[in-house]
Amino acid sequence: MAVTAGPAARAQSDTNAAPPPPRVTHIDSDSADFDGNGHTVTYCGHVRVSDPAMNLTCARLVADLPEAGGRPSRIVAETNVVIDSTDSKGQTTHVTGDQAVYIYNVQNGVTNETVTLTGNPQPQVKNAQGTMAADVITWDRANNGYRFIGNYHMVSDQNFSVMTDTNLPPANTSNLAAPKINSPASITNNLAAPK
Amino acid sequence: MKMKWSSAVRVLSVFAVLFVSGARGPAQPGPVGHARDFTSVEYYDAPLNQTQMKSRLSGAETQPLPGGLLVIKQLKLETFTTNGSPQAIIKAPECTYDMQNGRASSAGHLQLQSGDGKIRVEGDGFLWRQDDSFLTISNHVHTVIETGPEMNTGL
Repeated sequence: MAVTAGPAARAQSDTNAAPPPPRVTHIDSDSADFDGNGHTVTYCGHVRVSDPAMNLTCARLVADLPEAGGRPSRIVAETNVVIDSTDSKGQTTHVTGDQAVYIYNVQNGVTNETVTLTGNPQPQVKNAQGTMAADVITWDRANNGYRFIGNYHMVSDQNFSVMTDTNLPPANTSNLAAPKINSPASITNNLAAPK
Repeated sequence: MKMKWSSAVRVLSVFAVLFVSGARGPAQPGPVGHARDFTSVEYYDAPLNQTQMKSRLSGAETQPLPGGLLVIKQLKLETFTTNGSPQAIIKAPECTYDMQNGRASSAGHLQLQSGDGKIRVEGDGFLWRQDDSFLTISNHVHTVIETGPEMNTGL
């Protein structure tokens, strides 16, 4: 019997391939409130959201649910927000903040999807490029980039150097705290993984 | 750097549908006297087919208490869409329903799941208020959402 090969056989094989397993997301919390009139879900106390690509922890998570159904337009995670994610290339990102606000909407056919981190201590994003912090960090998920507003600073983990601005005195590299940069009003950092 | 944030987002929205439509069930009129192995069925109103079940409430035992309370043991509430597909299933080993105030509560376990079983919520201790459609699960809340790859929003 001949061994089948080539596109036809591959197509047959694909047809017979078992469907990929479902993606499972778990949400754990101490308590939860489901407001049918207000169309919100509130998870309180030791909130943990996990799925194969992302883990989120916080003290309180509130999701506004569209009355007509569909994707929530706004989710607020509060207090000690920590997000650990892994992209399709295996790169990890560690995000922390006091508050994270997720916004989703479509206007004139354009999808706007952002996660804005604020609070005290400063929100931070740590990935292969280093650790970046600012007063406000907006993660533009639609365009896969970050925007840093106010008191931006970055510490590279790759070469152990500290980025400084020439308007500042030389950085004291023995000081583990990264100096702040006289940055423009905002800094956009597109961190899309190279293809 | 695509985080799967919105997988949870998507789940919450589906869960809300489950909750809003399904959790109304305990407040539906049910048996009010002592009964064993009972089943109470509610049908859709016209113009839908009036033999189309809207919900089915069953239990191992009901026991009326003073003050308009009704204890239901082994509560199981099933809700159905207008085309007859299962929409949600709610289970509680024991539940006290306040008929005057339209509240259902228990210190025990509560399980909710969507009709296809892909969304499941459970916890210990709950209060359902009919007047403002508000459900609180007090302890150990655990939600599981299964989404197929085709449902992945790519976020």
